[in-house]
Amino acid sequence: MTAGGRWRRLGARLLRYWRRLERAHELLLVSRWRQGLRKEARRRDDTLRTLLLLESLGVDNPVAYETLDVVPYLVADFHAWHRRMGRDEFGDAGVCC
Amino acid sequence: MPAVVMVLIVGVLFYLGYRYYSGYLARRVYALDDDRPTPAHTMRDGVDFIPTNKHVLFGHHFTSVAGAAPIVGPAIAVFWGWGPALIWVVAGTIFAAGVHDFGAIVVSVRHKAQSIGTLTREVVGTRARVLFLLIIFFLLTLVNAVFAVVIGNLFVANPEAVLPIVLEIPLAIGIGQYIYRTRSAALIPSLVGVVVLYATILLGQALPISLAGFAAEDGLFTERNIWVVLLFAYTFLASRIPVWVLLQPRDYINSHQLFIALGVIGLGVLVGWDTIVAPMVNDRTPADSPSWFPLLFVTIACGAVSGFHSLVSSGTTSKQLDKESHARYVGYFGAVGEGALALGSILACTAGIVATTADWHAAYSDFATASDGAASNFVNGVAHFAGNLGVPQATAAVFAAVVVISFAATTMDTGVRLQRYIVQEIAEIVRIRAISRNLTVAGLVAVLIPLVLALLPGGGDAGYTFGVLWQLFGTTNQLTAGLALAVIAVWVTKNRRNPIAVLVPLVFLVVVTTWALVDNLVRFVAESEWVLAPLDAIIFVLAVWLIVEAVLALRRARGVSGDADEPEPTELTGR
Repeated sequence: MTAGGRWRRLGARLLRYWRRLERAHELLLVSRWRQGLRKEARRRDDTLRTLLLLESLGVDNPVAYETLDVVPYLVADFHAWHRRMGRDEFGDAGVCC
Repeated sequence: MPAVVMVLIVGVLFYLGYRYYSGYLARRVYALDDDRPTPAHTMRDGVDFIPTNKHVLFGHHFTSVAGAAPIVGPAIAVFWGWGPALIWVVAGTIFAAGVHDFGAIVVSVRHKAQSIGTLTREVVGTRARVLFLLIIFFLLTLVNAVFAVVIGNLFVANPEAVLPIVLEIPLAIGIGQYIYRTRSAALIPSLVGVVVLYATILLGQALPISLAGFAAEDGLFTERNIWVVLLFAYTFLASRIPVWVLLQPRDYINSHQLFIALGVIGLGVLVGWDTIVAPMVNDRTPADSPSWFPLLFVTIACGAVSGFHSLVSSGTTSKQLDKESHARYVGYFGAVGEGALALGSILACTAGIVATTADWHAAYSDFATASDGAASNFVNGVAHFAGNLGVPQATAAVFAAVVVISFAATTMDTGVRLQRYIVQEIAEIVRIRAISRNLTVAGLVAVLIPLVLALLPGGGDAGYTFGVLWQLFGTTNQLTAGLALAVIAVWVTKNRRNPIAVLVPLVFLVVVTTWALVDNLVRFVAESEWVLAPLDAIIFVLAVWLIVEAVLALRRARGVSGDADEPEPTELTGR
């Protein structure tokens, strides 16, 4: 084997080790931090959903004008949410299912 | 004795504890069953509930429970000699902390991964929920007070560490934003971040920041106390920033620092082959020193057994457990990891800190000196171990100070944030709307009470020793552990299994904690400590309340037959 081939093989092997190290670091330390980000994102989504649901709960929605605009974008998301909460159908015809 | 020998002996004992005692717990006490699906599977949502590889989950659990507390407690307790501290760390880890952390995960997993607060209400009773809230309130108050004092002392002793700690804030925000905005691997940016953080140590050495020019020599306006006020002002503001912007990225950097510090201690001990110069039992303590019994058992809480771990075990770990059998490795071995950190602290303060026994006695001349200088002694010990690896001693001291302050500051950030919620919840129960509905007022209450406590140690005529405040913190931590052990014992009893392995640490903790509280109360009244005496009396009432609730719940549990575990999740609810 030529010297160039040996170096290439060594480089490839080092790269494999590095990728393995990156993967371990990602799982051990970064995934926990990304999980925190996902939690925060979900908390904000839930707040938005609560705002959207205020009127259906009989509570005046102070931001009704703004939330009305985003309702169409959240129908699919809303459907996934009420299924996650244990209800196969939301019950209010015409909302999502 | 060479420090390496102590490491080997403790290592063997921890191994035996893990190999045999945790095996007994898994089979006979907690009856783990891998055929029973865990909440990570039945309630999987990709956010909280995710089945996770056991080694990865161990890493998450360990970095969540390890911090500055298992460092400071043993650093104070070696005042009585390394023997009592070491025995309590080893026995506490094997027979109390392991049982507690492991059990908290299992009970939570068998109850839809509910937190220990909710489990307290469900398993012990509704009144116990209020008790839990009150214990946590005092725990967080004391956590915030003691860590403010620890950081203040370290800033005074190591002015070179101030700049790196200040610069860590924008650095953490920067790394956080990188991970938030990209999906690529974070290893290189994280390594760069840690290297930059340690590079700022050199900057800190060139530009030390001291407030001595603005401070008085003694009284209330000492340099330490000015730092304490600034720290609480910072935590008040930081608690209003979303967790993902600052707190979580700082925690992320800290998890790297934890492994680096453990590596430095381990390698430094191995390479340096230092000898333990401290006495096994310190027979030169002044006559007015507090007795090691029962105060040793509340001075070292984290590192021997810590109730805080039950909050992590039931709050996050139980939601990610892939199989029940993994609880043994994650929970029990996590406790062993914390015990190893406490061992590192004992070694730093008995082998690393000074070269001769006479010098050690000078550093630990009385309890006040020992407790005030505990964190600095650890810092100097780790600096010596890092020196064994070729790092210049002065730079190594700043490195160790940065590590301890980073841990303590993150704990304070979290503590003030949690305390704000607890204040709101208690205000809701007693119907004080001005506090329960106003985040700013609740935040001010959460900051002002520990601020007053933190300003008093050594702060003039009304001042007291920091070690006493630390013991009260340890007491509330042990009570939290007692409550979690009571929940575990009731669950084990309801399931018709022998709860003796849980009852022994529960009874031991309750007895030594109550004893320490009475011991301290008598002293506070005799010395007219009118801040600490009422605080101690209130915590004593909580301890008695805990005993009553635990006895009543256990008596009720003995009358219950059959499997008391939660029913299997149903398809209808998906829970």
